[in-house]
Amino acid sequence: MNVLKQTRFILPLIIFILIFALLWRGLNLHPNQIPSPLIGKPAPTFSLPTLFDAKKVTTNKDFFGHVTLMNVWATWCVACAEEHHALVQLAQNKTVFFYGLNYKDDVTAAKKWLKQYGNPYRIVAVDQDGAAAIDWGVYGSPETFVLDKKGMIRYKHIGPIDTDSWEKNLKPLIEKLQHEPV
Amino acid sequence: MVPELGSFAIILALCFAMIQGIAPLFARRNTSHFSKQLSTTAAISQFIFLSIAMLCLIASFLANDITVIYVREHSHALLPFLYRVGAAWGGHEGSLLLWCLILAAWTVAFILFADKKLPLISRANIIMILGFISSGFIIFLLTTSNPFQRNFPSMLVAGNDLTPILQDPGLIFHPPMLYMGYVGFAIGFAFAISALIEGKFNQEWAHACRPWIVLPWSFLSGGIVLGSWWAYRELGWGGWWFWDPVENASLLPWLSATALLHSLIVSEKRQSFKGWTLLLAIITFTLSLLGTFLVRSGVLVSVHAFASDPTRGIFLLCYLALIIGGAFLLYGIRIKNFYQAPSFTLLSRETFLLLNSVILLTAVFTIMIGTLYPIILDALNLGKISVGEPYFNTVFMPIILPLLLLMGFAPHLHWKQHAVKTLWKKFHFTILFSLLVAILAPKILGFTFYWLTFCGIFFAVWIMLATLQYTYQLWKLRKKIELQYGSMIIAHIGIAVIALGVTINKSYSTERQVKMLPGDSVALAGYQFTFVNVDETRGPNYQAITATFDVQKNSSIPQTLKAEQRVYTSHQETLSKPGILVNPFRDLYLALGNELPDGGWSVRIYYKPFVRWIWTGGFLLLIGGLLSLLNYWEKRGNNERA
Amino acid sequence: MNPYKKNDNCLQLAAKMTKNYFLHAYEWLRKMLLFLLMFLPLQLFAVEDFYHFDTPAQQERFAALTSQLRCLVCQNQNLSESNAPLAADLRQQVYQHMQRGQSDKQIVDYLVARYGDFILYRPPINAATLGLWLGPLIFLFLSVLYLLFYIRKKQ
Repeated sequence: MNVLKQTRFILPLIIFILIFALLWRGLNLHPNQIPSPLIGKPAPTFSLPTLFDAKKVTTNKDFFGHVTLMNVWATWCVACAEEHHALVQLAQNKTVFFYGLNYKDDVTAAKKWLKQYGNPYRIVAVDQDGAAAIDWGVYGSPETFVLDKKGMIRYKHIGPIDTDSWEKNLKPLIEKLQHEPV
Repeated sequence: MVPELGSFAIILALCFAMIQGIAPLFARRNTSHFSKQLSTTAAISQFIFLSIAMLCLIASFLANDITVIYVREHSHALLPFLYRVGAAWGGHEGSLLLWCLILAAWTVAFILFADKKLPLISRANIIMILGFISSGFIIFLLTTSNPFQRNFPSMLVAGNDLTPILQDPGLIFHPPMLYMGYVGFAIGFAFAISALIEGKFNQEWAHACRPWIVLPWSFLSGGIVLGSWWAYRELGWGGWWFWDPVENASLLPWLSATALLHSLIVSEKRQSFKGWTLLLAIITFTLSLLGTFLVRSGVLVSVHAFASDPTRGIFLLCYLALIIGGAFLLYGIRIKNFYQAPSFTLLSRETFLLLNSVILLTAVFTIMIGTLYPIILDALNLGKISVGEPYFNTVFMPIILPLLLLMGFAPHLHWKQHAVKTLWKKFHFTILFSLLVAILAPKILGFTFYWLTFCGIFFAVWIMLATLQYTYQLWKLRKKIELQYGSMIIAHIGIAVIALGVTINKSYSTERQVKMLPGDSVALAGYQFTFVNVDETRGPNYQAITATFDVQKNSSIPQTLKAEQRVYTSHQETLSKPGILVNPFRDLYLALGNELPDGGWSVRIYYKPFVRWIWTGGFLLLIGGLLSLLNYWEKRGNNERA
Repeated sequence: MNPYKKNDNCLQLAAKMTKNYFLHAYEWLRKMLLFLLMFLPLQLFAVEDFYHFDTPAQQERFAALTSQLRCLVCQNQNLSESNAPLAADLRQQVYQHMQRGQSDKQIVDYLVARYGDFILYRPPINAATLGLWLGPLIFLFLSVLYLLFYIRKKQ
């Protein structure tokens, strides 16, 4: 009973230490980044026109057979311009299939933009009203999805791709997925 | 030159704060007079130099000195004079300077006005502890958040401008009043620490402590209400409380301080609850500091949060750990001396006041767990969730309602023991009458009956009637009502008014969102809103499109309502300024949206009944608290004359 | 400008007067008609609700749903309050699903499948959030219990 009495007075201190530990951990977290519930699931089905040929249609089938890096971008998105140069460089070694989703953008402006700054994408899908992007759980461009050879979403990167995140997260994953069978 | 002066003033203030925090340590019981003189002088000097620093900052804003980084980020060439002053505390660095300044101001107030009956050594200890806290914050200010940091840009820029939402009279009053509340609890904290160190807590001590809890509590009530009023007018959808993390951070110390207030009354009158009062005093300031941390660290996502910086968060958290951890450790070790056995029965004023503490602390726990739970889950890698209004509304209401019930009874109960039978005899009429009013009121006013509304109205009317009954009783007994009872009566009625306002507003608000062209008319809640025309207008730093509406009920004289869509010159940011028609019983709120591609305008119209009652109630809390201050003034006058 | 000339004959004058009278009468009648139209019921005016619902209950349902969903690009605002383009898109989605006759649960599940639990302002009730939902109750219960023990101890 005496022990209980003693601990009762130390209780506020213990509670405070717990809160302190929680907040310390909290300082290293990113509350703004939302994890995707689609990881490990097949890519959502869609059927969209392509950018350079409005009559040609792109669907999920374009993901099969190779590792895809799907990048959601737009000309009005300032952060997309930041990563665009890096994407163009990465696309040059042709190991990864770059797929672009032009999100709520003007087609003419998008074509002009790619002509001016380079086009890393083998296929660019056009989602003008944003409905298809909602199926992907897109909430703010740029966002990049890594899909495996079976068309399953394996990773989502939020924000512009920089050298750090490429070297640490994306490149090792892509190399791992390249070795998986179809 | 002025920014350097300001920076130097802060450094000097730090030196004085450190002297203030250390000098009394060298006092021995017999010679504490000298060290108290030293720390008093140091405290006053600290205040003077922090004031100089704040004046320098305001001067830099008025001159739009863009070489100061902070001014460049928050000011603009076209920003009106009043907002330049407010912008001084509109960002993290300036608001932290305000925090330190207000702490120094409270210290000086304590030096000037503290009860002279409080022993010299206690006063010296309190000033020392306040100096210690000040030093830490000024070090934080200087090292991570110096508002006077300069760099010289290669070309002349006009400045980034103050965020449009902040360009409102609310900016001038809300932060200072809020800080006067938050920061004022440091004195209560210092009182508690000094009592734990000395091992003494008697009636004189409790009496001396009380004004230093009541006054910050009143300012905090006023500050929270001002914030709610400001958000209502600025944010464009007529909401007045969002359970946003920063708002919760300001409510937590308020709840704890209310519990502390009541516990302190018992400590003063009955020499009871001592350990509990000391713990509450520490907890209240802890919650203030926690709030300060949450707003600036980036740990939580909020509309109100300052720009976050991890280094600041780490520093602040470590400093918090030092002060609060130290306080709780001291409490754990020394509290045994204050433990008392209970000497009252189950039905007594003591029990009800303890229940008051229990319920208020449960509310604190609830809000804290709701605010921190997303971090808990994220830290344990269990995913990310959001905890918002639906959660808080669900759990908070059932906790507060019993408190409202108890509030009516408590002033009438006797200390130590009260018979149940006399309670029913005294109150059966009041309770039944309140029930009747709650059932009939919606019907008479022509509204739908909801059970939740019934509860809210019942409790509000119950508190009002029970408090008035108490007032009448006092009057009959004593032929006059002393100030201290008067302030309690006003404060309790204030809570009832808030409860009534919240209940009716939440139950009967309506809205419509429509597309309108000039000439169109829309009906809401019996009022006719006719879109008259659209005009282009200008302000000092913005261009606006003003829509004029005529509002008419039945065939009365139409009143004009203007709503704006402003575009601020500096960065083309848009802000929708709603038009509000005010009346003691309802607000008619109109927000102009975007112009639509086919030529019409998107308009949102809200009918908000009783919303002004919420802020009036808060204002009553402020008045009640300030009134009790008059009581101390009067008593002091009497003592000095005697 | 005076329409009557000095050397107009009777007939010409009469004709002009009649014409003027009818012009004025028409003008007056037009203004009168516009004035009278103000008192006609509202249905004649094309004020559309932004989102059209068949019943007020549907409208309340929409308001309740959008106020419980989070705007993901904002700093803590719900879909009903936010002006962000994504919020407008998501409101549109909620509206369309409602028009298709889907229940609240179906709409919420649809959005959670794409964005996770983060989009809900009312946290889900599962093993992880047990502490959140039961915590306050347990705290209240334990403290009242402790209080009772304390008061009854030395009676």
